Amino acid sequence: MFTWTGILSIGGGRAAFFYEALVVQRRWLRTDEFMQDYTLAQLLPGPNVSNLAIALGHRLRGLGGAGWALLAVIVPGLAVLLTLATIYFGRGLAPATVSLMHGMSAAVVGLLLVTSVRLMRPVLVNARAVVIAAATFAAVGPLRLNTALVLLVSAALSVWLHRPGSRA
Amino acid sequence: MSDVVWMAWTFLWLSVLCVGGGVGVIPEMQRQVVANHQWVTAREFVDGYTLAQLTPGPNMLVAAFVGYRAHGVPGALLATVAMFLPTSLLTVVVADRWQRWRGHGWAAAAERALAPVGMGLMAAGVYTLADSALHDALTVALAFVAALTLASRWAPPMLVVVLAGVTGWLLGA
Repeated sequence: MFTWTGILSIGGGRAAFFYEALVVQRRWLRTDEFMQDYTLAQLLPGPNVSNLAIALGHRLRGLGGAGWALLAVIVPGLAVLLTLATIYFGRGLAPATVSLMHGMSAAVVGLLLVTSVRLMRPVLVNARAVVIAAATFAAVGPLRLNTALVLLVSAALSVWLHRPGSRA
Repeated sequence: MSDVVWMAWTFLWLSVLCVGGGVGVIPEMQRQVVANHQWVTAREFVDGYTLAQLTPGPNMLVAAFVGYRAHGVPGALLATVAMFLPTSLLTVVVADRWQRWRGHGWAAAAERALAPVGMGLMAAGVYTLADSALHDALTVALAFVAALTLASRWAPPMLVVVLAGVTGWLLGA
């Protein structure tokens, strides 16, 4: 169980790393089992990475596994981030640090852009999916509408459009 | 209601809105923690997200960063628990039963239906972060070069982020 904790904490909590560690290297799970948990983690509310860790932990070791997996993805990152937050808010930022943060934030936006495009490719396969995604983006992004409201409307509409028996 | 209770409630509510990826909840989180409650400034929020991105673990640990600013270490711990615990319990309950449910037509429909909604939310999250992070020609150029480097897989993401930081520092972003 402690090995399990260790593996997860080094990985930086990324889905691809879980796949590499659990399916490719240790062969504890098959790809289809992993993908099933991945879909479940996406589907349920809550941060994806922690949901995925819990679903995988639960599959491997039951309730205890789920609990350990959650602690393993959160505690190391929380400790590091608290240290960084203390430094960030404690001393006030020197101009050099401000420039450093501006540069890093800009790169993070670039990184997220690339990741988003990669994830979108297999999902936005037909006009229906593209319209739903575009409408959700416009409402929450530029229009700054309440996310809960948009989510309620677009999810209900989307489930109806994808209802069993509708043509793909 | 005291501010601490509001904070726990806000992050609990935000965690429920995380569908198809944490980035999707960024626009609403920014609205709540910057505009409504003023726990952090827009700049601090982007910086907090950047630090969470550099840290191992889920990016939604940005909740701990905001909690720390608002109410110190107890605030950070409370925000983290509110963000992760309730939805985690839900996941355990559903994971237990999913094998039986997934054969059902509506479960498959929900899987297919929520994916594009999640993508739209994620794109909106990138938009919100870009709105605060890309404030001049240099930051736009850095984001563009970082995206190209990552798309062509020349360098690992963390290295690109750190190099962009050094470039920003040298050129005074």
